Formats: sequence, structure tokens, C-alpha cells
Amino acid sequence: MIEMPRMPPTRPHIGINGPSRFSSYTSVEWAEDDPWDSASDSESSSQKLHIGARSNSISKVTLDATSTTAKAVPKPKRSPSASSLTFSYTHVNAPSPSSYSPKPETLHTHKQSWTMVNKPSENGLQTTRHETIGGTLGRTSEEFEIEDIEVGDTDAEGHATKVRRGSENVRHDAEEIVQGVSCHICLYVAKAHRSKDPFSSIRRNRLKRSQTAGLGQQKNLSSQLQRETSIRTNRRNKFIECLLAEDVNIVELRKIAWNGIPSDLRPVAWPLLLGHLSLHSDMRGSALARKRAEYASLVDVTFSKGREGLDQQIWHQIEIDVPRTRPGVKLWMYEATQRSIERILYVWAIRHPASGYVQGINDLVTPFFQVFLSAYITSDPEDFDPARLPPSVLSAIEADSFWCLSRLLDGIQDNYINAQPGIQRSVKRMAELVARIDAALYAHLQSENVEFMQFAFRWMNCLLMREISVQNTIRMWDTYLAEGPDAFSQFHLYVCSAFLMRWSKKLQEMDFQGIIMFLQSLPTQDWGDHEIELLLSHAFVLNSTWQNAQSHFLGS
Amino acid sequence: MAGEGTTSYDYLFKVVLIGDSGVGKSNLLSRFTRNEFNLDSKSTIGVEFATRTIQVDGKTVKAQIWDTAGQERYRAITSAYYRGAVGALLVYDIAKQSTFENVQRWLKELRDHADSNIVIMLVGNKSDLRHLRAVLTDQAQQFAEENHLSFMETSALDASNVELAFQSILTEIYRIVSAKSLENTVDPSIKPGESTTISVSTGEDQKKAGCCS
Repeated sequence: MIEMPRMPPTRPHIGINGPSRFSSYTSVEWAEDDPWDSASDSESSSQKLHIGARSNSISKVTLDATSTTAKAVPKPKRSPSASSLTFSYTHVNAPSPSSYSPKPETLHTHKQSWTMVNKPSENGLQTTRHETIGGTLGRTSEEFEIEDIEVGDTDAEGHATKVRRGSENVRHDAEEIVQGVSCHICLYVAKAHRSKDPFSSIRRNRLKRSQTAGLGQQKNLSSQLQRETSIRTNRRNKFIECLLAEDVNIVELRKIAWNGIPSDLRPVAWPLLLGHLSLHSDMRGSALARKRAEYASLVDVTFSKGREGLDQQIWHQIEIDVPRTRPGVKLWMYEATQRSIERILYVWAIRHPASGYVQGINDLVTPFFQVFLSAYITSDPEDFDPARLPPSVLSAIEADSFWCLSRLLDGIQDNYINAQPGIQRSVKRMAELVARIDAALYAHLQSENVEFMQFAFRWMNCLLMREISVQNTIRMWDTYLAEGPDAFSQFHLYVCSAFLMRWSKKLQEMDFQGIIMFLQSLPTQDWGDHEIELLLSHAFVLNSTWQNAQSHFLGS
Repeated sequence: MAGEGTTSYDYLFKVVLIGDSGVGKSNLLSRFTRNEFNLDSKSTIGVEFATRTIQVDGKTVKAQIWDTAGQERYRAITSAYYRGAVGALLVYDIAKQSTFENVQRWLKELRDHADSNIVIMLVGNKSDLRHLRAVLTDQAQQFAEENHLSFMETSALDASNVELAFQSILTEIYRIVSAKSLENTVDPSIKPGESTTISVSTGEDQKKAGCCS
């Protein structure tokens, strides 16, 4: 078996795949050169129709947005209670997607204020911007105040554990987040400096493991602990700095995201990486509001004729699959979640007639929904009933999940069209790869008449989501999103190969039945970030070795 | 079932479970192989596999069962598994008329992709949903007779007839296979799998005969 590096490598993006695929987005709309936006279903005329409808609705909304922005907007008071709002780096006075009135400031009951000194940035952000556009943009000063830090300390999963009294786990500022997707960067900054380290429990476990080696000296351990703490804090600060920039540097964001995104920053980092959020902070809020409005109108149009107006076959399949999506986990059993997921899947399906809804796509929407939900609540998303959210918040989560799912699927639509050629190709390529890298395993599988299609089909179809936990998947997607648009087809096949070879020794001792049964229910229940990161680094090594080799052959 | 993989058997039969999405194929399989029923199980993606060994006429018969995804889109993948199958359980939901209407289309699938000698049993599952019944037993029975299928109603939930359904299709297959191998009397005992008429047991019997490629 190939010796895997201890720590995941920093992803040297540019060197491997060429810079062109990672060009930053210059527009918030789907630009023609947007690498995440493939020409899906190009043969369908209905798709064209949709596009037409889309741009219409966009331009309409744009107008609205402009007119609203042009109006004099009340300037937020420069009071501590307004600071989190003004600091929201995307907060924009775009039309609210809902009729919900902004919460009165009296809701900010907690008066603990934070003062921190922020490093002067090269961008030289001006206080005046805040003054002129009314808390619209970016950082407002080099020194700012932060409050509302009581929202909760994050545990290892990044879920806030302290529950605000009386707020039923919904963040008191949830509706403000909807408007700004600020995700409380301010809070994160504050927390980082408070040095309440959310990763302590993970690290303790890991240290325990290394202690069993017998050489655990107290001194070394505590210095290692300190070192890891500072690495975490540094990484976090890097993220925050990157995300707060007036124009997010996508290359930099990809680079740091490759090694994992702190869970509370994901709701911002993911859509940025997917191109769902604009990299330019001054366009971010309005563009986002437009997309959410567009989704809302898609839903309205799609379901306007009631159930009878739906494509019965597609709807029926979605209807029976939604209750079977992560069964047993509370979040996914709640009525509100299920209705949301139904709408997302159905709207996506009819907009992509070449594939329609295919079983397994329901799994793929769950990480998005869960990650976005986590931005608005202070408790574990998996136990949370979304019906308790203000409607505008739930619509925002639903819309964001829809667009991000769409972007992900754009890259792997071949997996779901007739005869599923994308999967056939990936499985074939994976078999070739394993044959070259782990010849003994490959030979054994052959001698036992095991075909790759028998187990790897599902690995491709559900992106390993049936093999690993959602938490594992979410960590894995940090890296996939950092890898770029085709990671879900290309990089994924290296991950699958590494995944298979991980069990190489065991598999070689099994017969046909043993192999199939084992691969059908792999013992990954205890997997944490560490195991996923090992897998990703192995895949990275394979990818750089073989992808390069391939292009070398092609070139010569 | 632990360690079953290594036990010896006299016959190995490959059987497929087919039918519309959501009719309970996976639960029939888990009920039969592990005596488990899961009210909220995930949908099957592609195919899943399980085995169980039973006794038929004093012989040990190992059933290798492939549970297939019901959605149309997976047809290209799942139909590959019909090859070499000696039996098929064609499942519908007695509470959903449309799943029974689609039985016709599933039969065509089998005609197009499976061995022409394949033994087919029509299975009306979810018989526990009496108050929701949409497909009459007589109606299904008649359809089965017209199409030369055996027929049974089962409930994976309360376990009724599940054992019996698998038992009877495996017995039927066994009788046909053993009769065939008697017909081809040339060398029946040494290479049971090489009988050309029943292609099913060929590949999988290799292990037992100890002649793996």
C-alpha cells in the first residue's frame, strides 16, 4: 500500500491544472466563462426558454434593486448594537425576499461589547463607504466594535452549543443574515481572539491516539497542543481575512479551503467557491437577493397549476424519495424540510429534462441545506425543525441550496442522463487506475469475478455519500469545491480509487461474496476529519501523478 | 449468517428482485436474508447484493440475490444483472395500482435481457396494508396464470409469506435444474454447472468445483 503523507498537502492549484480554470468570477451572474456553469441540456429547447425567462426576471429584479438602492436608506446608527449589521460584509439594502420587517434593535439585548484592532488591510477600506451606502459594504474601519458574542461557543462540529434563552435556537439576527449572508464574520473574528478553541476535543482524541504509541511526554504534548492551537487560529484568521476582502481572492480562498473550512465559515465560503456568491462584496447582497427572488418565482411558476400540473412521473419519484432521505435524522423527517427538498428537487428536475430527477440526487442536496441552515441557528442542525425559522430565512436556505446544488450538478450531469455515461466512464477509468496502481488488488478482484460497476456505481452516483457520513462528506466537499468545477467528476474518481485501495489488504483475503458485502457496508462509522483528510491527500497524490502522466502521454 | 460465505453448497442460484420504485424490494430481501425490516430505508442505488442458503429436497441451495433500483433511469445498469439469473421476483405494491400496471413492462425487460428459461414469480408485497388494497388478489392471480408466472402475496413488514415466496421460487428452480442435469446424463455429477440449457449456475459454481480461473 502506498504510504500516505501525514498531513494533507497544501494544494498547489495553479501548477497542476493551469490557471485558466480557476479564473475568478468577474460577474455575479452566470458569465459565459463561468467554469461551474456548464451548458446543461443543450439539446432542449425548453432549457432555452428557461434561460430567457431567467434573464427576464433578473433584469426586472435588477431594476427593482436599483430603484430601492437609489432611495435614501436610513443610515444605521453608529451604535454598538448596529455594529454587527454594519460589519456584515455583504449586507445590502436590496429588497428583502420576504415581507418580514427588520427586527427592532432592541432585540440586541446583550450589551457586551468587543473592541478589537484589525490589521490595516492593503485594500485600504474606507470608513466612508459605510457612511454613504448605509452599512452596505465591507469593513468599515480599521478599528471596530463587535457585540453579540454570546450566541454560543462552537463545539467540534462547529455547532453552537449554548442556546440563547428564549430564542429557541434561532439566531436572533437570522433575518439580518438573510439579507446579508454575513454569517457573522464579526463573531468569528471575536471568537478567534477569545481563543476558545472549538477543535480542542478533536485534538485531544488525536493526541490520545498518538499517546498509545508510548512516547507521549507531557512536555511535547503540551507544546504540540499549543502549536496546533496556533495553527488553527492562524488558519481561521487567514479565512476571515480572505472572506472579508472587498474582492475575495478566489485563488487564495481555494488554496486555504483545500485543507478544510471551519464549519461556521462554510455558509459563506461554499457559495463563494461555487460562484453562487459574488466575489465582489459590493455586488454580493443585491446579486444574492436577485437569485433568491428568481428561485422564488421559479417555484411559483412551477407549482402554479397545483399537483395536477406537475410531471407525474418525476413528482412521484421525488415524493417517495424525500421521506427516504437520511431517514431517522430529525431534520430530514420534519415536514418543513421535506417540502423544501421536494421543491428544490422538482424545480431542478424540470429545468434539466435530459436527466430529470435521478435517485441519489436527493442525497446530494442535504449537505447544502444543512450547512446553510447552520448559519441561522445556534443548535445542531440535524435536530432542528426549520418550521421554527422565519419564512424568509427558510426561503433563503432553500434558494441557496437550490442554486448550489444546481452548480454542483452542472459538473456531473453526464452521471444522470440516459444510460449514465458519466458514471460508466468514471468507473472504467477508476478500474484502469487501480489496475496500474494496485495490481494485486485488481488481479484479486478479477479472479473473484468482481466487477467495479458492482460497487463503484453507487460511489459515483451518490458521490460516496452512502459510504461515509454527512459530516465526512461536508469536509470532503471543502476540498472538492477548492479543487474546482470538475472535481466532482475528475478528482472524485481519484478519491474513489484511494478509497478502494484503502481496504486493499482486507479485500485480498475475501471471496466474491465477502468483497461485495464488505464494500456494500464499509466500516466508516467512526471516521472523522482525520480519515477523510488522509483519503484526500492520497487522492491528491494519485491525481497529480496520473493526471499529469495522462497529459504527458497525450502531449507526446 | 456470519461465515455463510465459506460454507459449501450443492447449488448456487442467482436471483434478481425487480419492480417499481418503492414497492419494498429491499425490505423483502432483508427480511429473507437477515430477518430485518426497516420502515425508513434509503432508496437502492444501482444494485445491492445479499445471499442466503436454504435446504431444498435435502440439497443445500445458496441463493445469490441482486436487489435492483426501481427507477427507470437505472434500467441500463440493472439490466446487466439479469444475465445469468435463473430466477426473478417481480414485485409490485398491492396498495398501488400503477406498480401492478407496470408489471407488463418489467416482463418485457426480462424478455429482452434475461435468459428465456428464467423462472419468474409475481409478488404482491405490502399485504399488511389491507385497508389500502388497490390490486385484487384474484386479478393478480389471473394475470400470473395468463403469463405463466407463479404468484404470491407477501408482507416484508409482518414477514408473512416472505420465506415461502423465496422457498418456492428456489424449489422451482431447483427442480428444473436437477431435471435438466438428469436429461443431460453424460456427466451430471462432476460438472453440474456446465449444462448449457441452464446457464445460471455456471460461473458461480466454479468455486465449489475448485476450478477458479
